[in-house]
Amino acid sequence: MSWDYLFIQVMNGLVVGVIYAMIAIGVTLIFSILKIVNFAHGDLYMLGGYCAYFIIKLLGFPPVLAMVAAMAVLFVLAIILERLLLTPLYSDATERKDEYGLIVTFGLAFFLRNAAIIAFGPFPLKPPSFVEGITEFGDLRVTNDRIFAAGVGILLILALLYFMHRTLWGQALDAVSQSRDSAAIVGINPRRFNSLAFGVGAALAAAAGALIAPIFSLAPDMGVLANINAYVIVILGGMGSVVGSALGGIFIGEAESLFTAFFPDPTRAFAYTNAFGVLVLMLVLIYRPTGLFGRRHLRME
Amino acid sequence: MRIKGRWHAAAGFALLVGGFVILPAQFTQAYAQDTIRIGWVGPLSPPGGYAEGALMKQAAELAADEINAKGGLLGKKIEMFYEDTRGQPEEGTAAAERLVSQDHVVAITGEFHSSVFLAEMEVVHKAGIPIIAVDVWANKITAKGYPEVFRVAPCQALIASKYGEWIAAAGFKNVAVLWEKTDGGQSAKDVLLPILDQHHVKHDEVGADPNSTEFTAEIERLKSHNPPYDFFMTEFSEAGAYPLITQSYQQGFAPSAHTGIANSGGPAVDETFWENVKDAGKYVVTENVGLPKNAWNEITKSFNAAFKKKYTKEPSPQAVENYDAMLVLADAIKRAKSTDGKAIIAALEKTKMLAGRGEYSFSTAHEPDWAYHQFMGAPVGLIQYDKTGQSPDDAPIVWPRNISDVKYTYNKPAK
Repeated sequence: MSWDYLFIQVMNGLVVGVIYAMIAIGVTLIFSILKIVNFAHGDLYMLGGYCAYFIIKLLGFPPVLAMVAAMAVLFVLAIILERLLLTPLYSDATERKDEYGLIVTFGLAFFLRNAAIIAFGPFPLKPPSFVEGITEFGDLRVTNDRIFAAGVGILLILALLYFMHRTLWGQALDAVSQSRDSAAIVGINPRRFNSLAFGVGAALAAAAGALIAPIFSLAPDMGVLANINAYVIVILGGMGSVVGSALGGIFIGEAESLFTAFFPDPTRAFAYTNAFGVLVLMLVLIYRPTGLFGRRHLRME
Repeated sequence: MRIKGRWHAAAGFALLVGGFVILPAQFTQAYAQDTIRIGWVGPLSPPGGYAEGALMKQAAELAADEINAKGGLLGKKIEMFYEDTRGQPEEGTAAAERLVSQDHVVAITGEFHSSVFLAEMEVVHKAGIPIIAVDVWANKITAKGYPEVFRVAPCQALIASKYGEWIAAAGFKNVAVLWEKTDGGQSAKDVLLPILDQHHVKHDEVGADPNSTEFTAEIERLKSHNPPYDFFMTEFSEAGAYPLITQSYQQGFAPSAHTGIANSGGPAVDETFWENVKDAGKYVVTENVGLPKNAWNEITKSFNAAFKKKYTKEPSPQAVENYDAMLVLADAIKRAKSTDGKAIIAALEKTKMLAGRGEYSFSTAHEPDWAYHQFMGAPVGLIQYDKTGQSPDDAPIVWPRNISDVKYTYNKPAK
């Protein structure tokens, strides 16, 4: 094994991990506030990618502006969806809220996926690059799109962390996540923050979709695998922990890359990459049942 | 009065039962007399290859419209019943059962996934209804020897063997084979590797989840292999083929001056190939299961023109296959002068007709086992793109040599 080879694989794992983290953070944010697992999150990520693509193609926006516009569109769309579909979760008249949340987000996922096939067509689409070209560090070749995606991803995650911990609205979100009733007593309207959490989570997913599109192409079913990865990461990092999801994403990205790179049987390593991510999750859960940064009061619905 | 009442009750009950038993049969016959019902199966939604499925369905629609415009079959219009199998074997079984028992189709065409077709053919085998496999390549489909199953696509024994012969002829010595873990991918690998062995070409194989889109770690591993690989054979039919080719190119592995690359499975001839891979697609080798452009007949030309006019896009080779499957089936029903399953099967066995991919006939030999009801003359040409954005029909044919239109066997990239 050469150190160069190790360095290359670690760098690739880091880039992929940041992208994973961006999707997972949206899931964990929504879970911490609304107390539901949003099974349609991967499909919001898909919609964000397509939205940016069509903004570029139809309106001629540069890719970065198209990404910002897609975030804004998905933010608004998510709030509309939350108002239309999730309000029964906040009503005392709804007896089985957990089951309702599960079924309605599953239904939304199927609807969005199949509507995307009709609206956007079945063929993969690829928008123009954010930054054309490839950067070489010795033997390591990384596309500028990957570096850009990882860089913007880290910035967005840091911005979200700043928002959550340093702003009044962010602290109000945290308060709602800890106790909806206590937050209401001190004058925070939990319903408004439900919408905000769903919108921010969707906007982050839209950014991830737009950033991923020049790397993996857009396809109506691209959210399925992203969803599965996001749940693994969210549980690994700890339900409801934004920091946990960020670090969990990078951890899974690195684990998959290094497993593929160093597993002794080269014929099987790649096929079992995803299984290895789940194996890591199982080991972590044995020693830390709440995940790496999980809070005890947040339970899996 | 009581006795009379009992008789009335018994007569009423008999009528009711008779109604349940007889009336549906009469309705079924009435339906059967109105139209000739033909089923279509294929992926139209995830996780299946819905892009290819959509093109195949459109080609089947086009063929059905053309047949009906010419007066239909046996004096009746044909009526199509489409089933989305989502690339899932269990969905394929359910779809075939619906077509057979609910829609009462007389024959079925379609399918893009070997694993799904293997499930569907069990249903039609029990029902005795003919099915024409359109773009499924696993050898065991025809090797099972079911009389109901015919195939217009080439099987892996015909495709992968061409790759094996070409790899040896092009002078490659050390090959990395990445294959998707599906029936089609497995079958391709099982045919290819023994041929490479025969030609003393070294090889290593890597299995891949068909839903993969992130290949960088694996490509780095292949790239750092010692001795270096001089060819990267990818047996990958899913949407991940685009990121696979792109990432391989961007990481400096293949296509490059050191390592060639081929993709088998279909995505490299789809209309969105170039939008997704851009420069990475230049020098990629892939198969074209349609006739080479210089051998197009009148049917190929008219199909291409009609498809472009109706759907405003280029048809894929899979689309031509499905169009031909419909023409072959229509021809068999005409000659059988019946919609009885056995009569259609007997007529299909005697097929000898020209369609968009050449002169069709089906082998009835059981040796080799995959030959039974296989269209042995199914065209397969290996093409190698030499320009970015090139149409598959305009790309140079590098193999087999008898249809090749260039002097070289392999066009090596300069860098």
